[in-house]
Amino acid sequence: MSEKDFVERLRSNPLPVVVDFWAPWCIPCRAIQPVVGKLGEEYAGRVDLWKVNADEQPDLLRSLHIYGIPTLIAFHGGEEVGRRTGAASAATLGALFESALTGNKPERNGLELADRFLRLGAGLALVGLAILSGLSGVSLLLAGLGGVIMFTAVYDRCPIYRMVSLRLKELFQRKPTGSSDGG
Amino acid sequence: MNPFVKFMASAAGRITRVVAGIVLVALGLLVMHGVGGIIVAIVGLVPLLAGLFDFCVFAPLFGAPMSGPKIRAGK
Repeated sequence: MSEKDFVERLRSNPLPVVVDFWAPWCIPCRAIQPVVGKLGEEYAGRVDLWKVNADEQPDLLRSLHIYGIPTLIAFHGGEEVGRRTGAASAATLGALFESALTGNKPERNGLELADRFLRLGAGLALVGLAILSGLSGVSLLLAGLGGVIMFTAVYDRCPIYRMVSLRLKELFQRKPTGSSDGG
Repeated sequence: MNPFVKFMASAAGRITRVVAGIVLVALGLLVMHGVGGIIVAIVGLVPLLAGLFDFCVFAPLFGAPMSGPKIRAGK
């Protein structure tokens, strides 16, 4: 499918569209699949969910400047209103569906920029103090804590963290099946 | 809402706590040294972490929630 055909299909579609660019071999794509499917059902009749296999449409991906998958793009009236690349939380993906519906840019569900800078600054300060005090014993622990604090400034942008947290959430939210009451 | 708790939950209060925490850690590690220094540094970590992660450890003493966003929302 060419970009022209894709845009025409988008414009002629009566409903807003969220397009999920995925591939069968892509693990993060599989990780977000249950959430995307659930949102698709929740917004059925209001927002259409299209799935595009990235392996089958490389030209389309190139023309839409998609450089990683999974990528979800929200279209309203044929125009892109928001996109998200990589595994994301249910709230972030939900915001994308909502933006397709309303035509507004998706709400950001992340940390405020000031919070990020505060954490980066404090983390750096702790690492600096640890280095100044000789990097031994307690100072090493302090340097580690500084590193963790710096990571908390960007954790929601880290694709590995997003993948792992999604998996863990999925694991803990999975309802036990086949439990027996007998005993 | 208690004005002290309100200030601590504000942006200025959070920055104050972070700076105070860093000063205490620096004081403990670079000036005091020894066990006393380590204790001061650990005490300094409390306001530092509370400021960074937006919670106020003293708020429950004034009948307010610990969470910064909840304090700001007046809950």
